[in-house]
Amino acid sequence: MTQPPRSPRPRAGSGSRSLRGSSELRLRIALIVIAMVLSVFGVRLFQLQGLDPKAYAARADAESLVTVPLPATRGEITDRNGVPLAETVSGMMIVADPLRTRPHAEQIARILANQLHLDYFTVLASLLKQAPANKPDIRFAYIARRVPATQATAAAAAVTKAGYKGIETRPDPLRDYPANDIAANLLGFLNTDGKPLAGLELTFNNRLAGKGGSETYEVGGGNRIPLGENTETKPVNGKNLTLTIDRDVQWYAQRVLRTAVQGSDAQSGTAIALDTKTGEILALADYPSYDANDPGASSKNDRGSRALTETYEPGSVEKVLTTSSLINAGKVTPRTRIRVPHTLPVMDRTIHDYFDHGNIHLTLAGVIAKSSNIGTVLATRQFTHSQLWNYLNDFGLGHNPDIGMPNENSGVLPALPTWTDLTQATVAFGQGVSVNALQMATAVNAVANGGELVTPSLIKGSATTTTGAKVGTALTQRRRVISAAAATAESRMMEMVTTLGAGTAPAAGITGYRVAGKTGTAQEVGAACRCYDGSLDVSFAGFAPADNPRFTVYVVIKKPKNGGSGGGTAGPVFRQILSYLLQKYSVPPTNTPPAHLPVTW
Amino acid sequence: MSSLMSQARVRVQRPATRTAVAAVERARLALVPVRVTRAPRMPFAVLVFAVLGAGVVGLLMFNTHMQQGSFYATRLQARADTLTAREQSLQRQLDHLRDPQGLAVAGKRLGLVAPGVPAFVDLATGKVVGKPTPATTADAVRINPRPPALPSPLNPPPLIIKVKAPVTGTTTTTTTTTTTGSTGKVGTGTQTRTGTGHASTKTGAGTGRNVSATPAHGAHR
Repeated sequence: MTQPPRSPRPRAGSGSRSLRGSSELRLRIALIVIAMVLSVFGVRLFQLQGLDPKAYAARADAESLVTVPLPATRGEITDRNGVPLAETVSGMMIVADPLRTRPHAEQIARILANQLHLDYFTVLASLLKQAPANKPDIRFAYIARRVPATQATAAAAAVTKAGYKGIETRPDPLRDYPANDIAANLLGFLNTDGKPLAGLELTFNNRLAGKGGSETYEVGGGNRIPLGENTETKPVNGKNLTLTIDRDVQWYAQRVLRTAVQGSDAQSGTAIALDTKTGEILALADYPSYDANDPGASSKNDRGSRALTETYEPGSVEKVLTTSSLINAGKVTPRTRIRVPHTLPVMDRTIHDYFDHGNIHLTLAGVIAKSSNIGTVLATRQFTHSQLWNYLNDFGLGHNPDIGMPNENSGVLPALPTWTDLTQATVAFGQGVSVNALQMATAVNAVANGGELVTPSLIKGSATTTTGAKVGTALTQRRRVISAAAATAESRMMEMVTTLGAGTAPAAGITGYRVAGKTGTAQEVGAACRCYDGSLDVSFAGFAPADNPRFTVYVVIKKPKNGGSGGGTAGPVFRQILSYLLQKYSVPPTNTPPAHLPVTW
Repeated sequence: MSSLMSQARVRVQRPATRTAVAAVERARLALVPVRVTRAPRMPFAVLVFAVLGAGVVGLLMFNTHMQQGSFYATRLQARADTLTAREQSLQRQLDHLRDPQGLAVAGKRLGLVAPGVPAFVDLATGKVVGKPTPATTADAVRINPRPPALPSPLNPPPLIIKVKAPVTGTTTTTTTTTTTGSTGKVGTGTQTRTGTGHASTKTGAGTGRNVSATPAHGAHR
C-alpha cells in the first residue's frame, strides 16, 4: 500500500505529466496522512493495551461496578428448648456527614434524639464535629450503632423528609440477647466491631461466625444492569449452638441467687443445676453478673463465669466424697460408731468442729448430719494417703471439666508425694484442696447417679471450640467411682442432713420429697495475707428425689457478712431451685419412707 | 448365450415399439412460448425490511423489558429487605416479651407467687400428688434488681467523733459540722446527734470510746 506502483511512471513520462502527477501527489499525501493518523492510533493502542492495561480496565469497572459485601449471619445460641439466648438481627448504623449537618444540627439532632431515644446533646456533638485546625474536614461521625433496621431507616427517612441532608444508614449486624442478663455469664458478648470478647461467643466463634461473601455487579442509575457483569460469592452462615441450659430454670436460679447474695451481703455466689442422669447443665448462675446487651455497664470481673474460673476450698461438702469412698472400700457403714472428742490434734495443729461439744457419740450418719470435722478425720484414718487421693482423683478433683467455656480453672488436688497426715485430715473435710463449683457439683452428682460419674456438658450434641476441642452431650463419658450400694448408703446419710431435728439444714428440705444434701462452710483464703482471714464460703449440695435422683443442685455463696452457714444461707437457695426444677419437670414425690438412720449412740 | 440374448431382445422389442409409437402419437412436440418471469422486488425488500424492523423493535422491546424487570427487581429487593428487617424486629419484640423476667414481673403484678412445695393433680385419677402447701415469705424472690445506691452527697460515710475522756468535771463543748450540715454536739460523756427533724441521743461512757454518729440523711434510708 505505501509503495505505489513504479512501473507506470517511466511510461507515462512525457505525455500528460502534470495531471497524472497531481493525482499521484494527492494520493501520496493522503496516504501519508492516513499513515500518520494510523500510527498515532497504534501508539495510543500500545499505550493503553500494552503498557498498563489493568489500571485502565479497573478505572472503567469502577465507573459502574459495585461490590456489595454479603455478611454471613452469625449463628444463634439457643437453650435446650430452642429459645434464642443470642441472635443476630439486621441492624444499621446511622452516620452523619458533619460538613453537611452542621448548618441544621439542632433540628436534625432533635429529630434523631426523638426517633432513636438518644441523648440530644451527644447527637448534637456528633453532628457538629469539627476537625482540628489545618486538618481536612471531618466527613464521618457515628450517631448510633447497631440500631434495628426498621428504626434506623425510619429515623433517616424522617430527617430526609424534614429537608435536611447528611444523614445516612449503613448495614451493621446487631447481636441481640433477648433475655438481657440471663445466662450472660455463659454466653459472653461481642464488641462494637462484632468481635467476641467472652464466654461461648468467644470459644465457639469459628462455628458461630460463618464466612462472609460478596457480590459484584454493574449498576446504571442505581439499578442493576441486566446481563451485565455479575459475580457472587455466597456467604456461609454460622451454625447455631444449642445449650443444655433451660432458660426458665436459669432465670429462676439467677434471681434466687441474687436475692440470697444481696440478702446476706455476700461477695459473690454460684448455683449449678445438673440433670443427674445425663450430666447436662440445666442452669449455671453467677452473681454478680452483667447485662449482655450492655456489658460496659458492669465491672470487668463480673463478665465471666465464677463457677468455672474461680476456685475455692469446698469445705464440708467434700465429706460426701470422703465418706462414700470409705463406705465403698468397706471401711465403714452409715451405722459405724465414732467417739468424737472435743478437739483432735493432728501433727502440730488442732482440729475443731464448728459447734462446741464435749465427747459425743456419733454414728457416721451423725457425722454427716451434724457435719463433724473430727468424726470425718477419725473415719478417714482407715485410708492410706494414696487410697483417699485416688478416690478424690476419680471424683474429678483437680481435673478440668472442659465444657467449652474460656478460662476453666481445674483447681488443685495436692500431689500425692506432698501429702502428710495433716493434708489427709484437712482434705477429708474439704480444706487444703481447691475446686471450681462445677467440679464439686459433678462429684456430688456421681453419688446421686448411683456411683457413676457423668462428665458435665453445656453444649447439646457436639461442637468444636476454636482451639479444636470437641465438647458436648454426644461426648459424655461415664465411669464408675463407687458402687451403687455405697452411693445409696451415702444418699441415705445425706437425707439425714435435711431431716428436722437430726441434720444441719432442715431449711433445705422440701415437704413431701426425699431430699439428700450436705452443707459446707469453708474458710476462705484471703487475697491479702494468703491465709485464712476469717471470711467464709458457705455452700450446699444435694439432689432429689433421694431414692431416684433427677436433679443435682449445688449452691456456693462466698463471703457472706451475716455470719451465714451452709444450711442457713445456701440451703434455702438450694431448696428453691430444686423445688422449681421438680415442679417444672413434673417430678412427683416418690412416696417411699424416708431414711431413718441413728445419728447418735 | 448369444442366442439366448437375441431371443430375449426379440421378445421385448415388440411391445416397446408399440408404446413408443403411442407416446409419439400422444405428445406431439410444440413450441412453447418463452415465459420471462421476473420476480417482483418489492415484496422481498419489504420482507427484508420487515424482518430487520421486527428484529430491531423486538430487541429494543426485549431490552426495555429487561430494564423494567431490573427496576422491578431492585424495588422488590428493597421491599424484601424492609420486610425482613420488620420481621426480625417483630421477632425481637416477641423474644423480649417471652423473656422470663417480663413474664415474672407481669405475674407478680397479678399477685402470683412461686410455690415453695411442688404439688400436682393427676388428671387421670383426679388425685393430688404431693403436699399442697401455701407459699411463705421464705419463698419470696426479689425479681427486680435493687434500686441503685444513693449518690455519695446524699449518702455520706458515717462521721466518727473521738471523744476524749474528761480529766476533771469541767464541761467542754465542741461543735462539728458534717458535710450535710447536721451537727454533732459532744458534751461530757453525752453525745447528741441532730439531723433534719430527727434527733437521737446516745450516751457514751466517757471513756474515750469511738462513737459513730451517722448524719440523719444516711440514717433515714
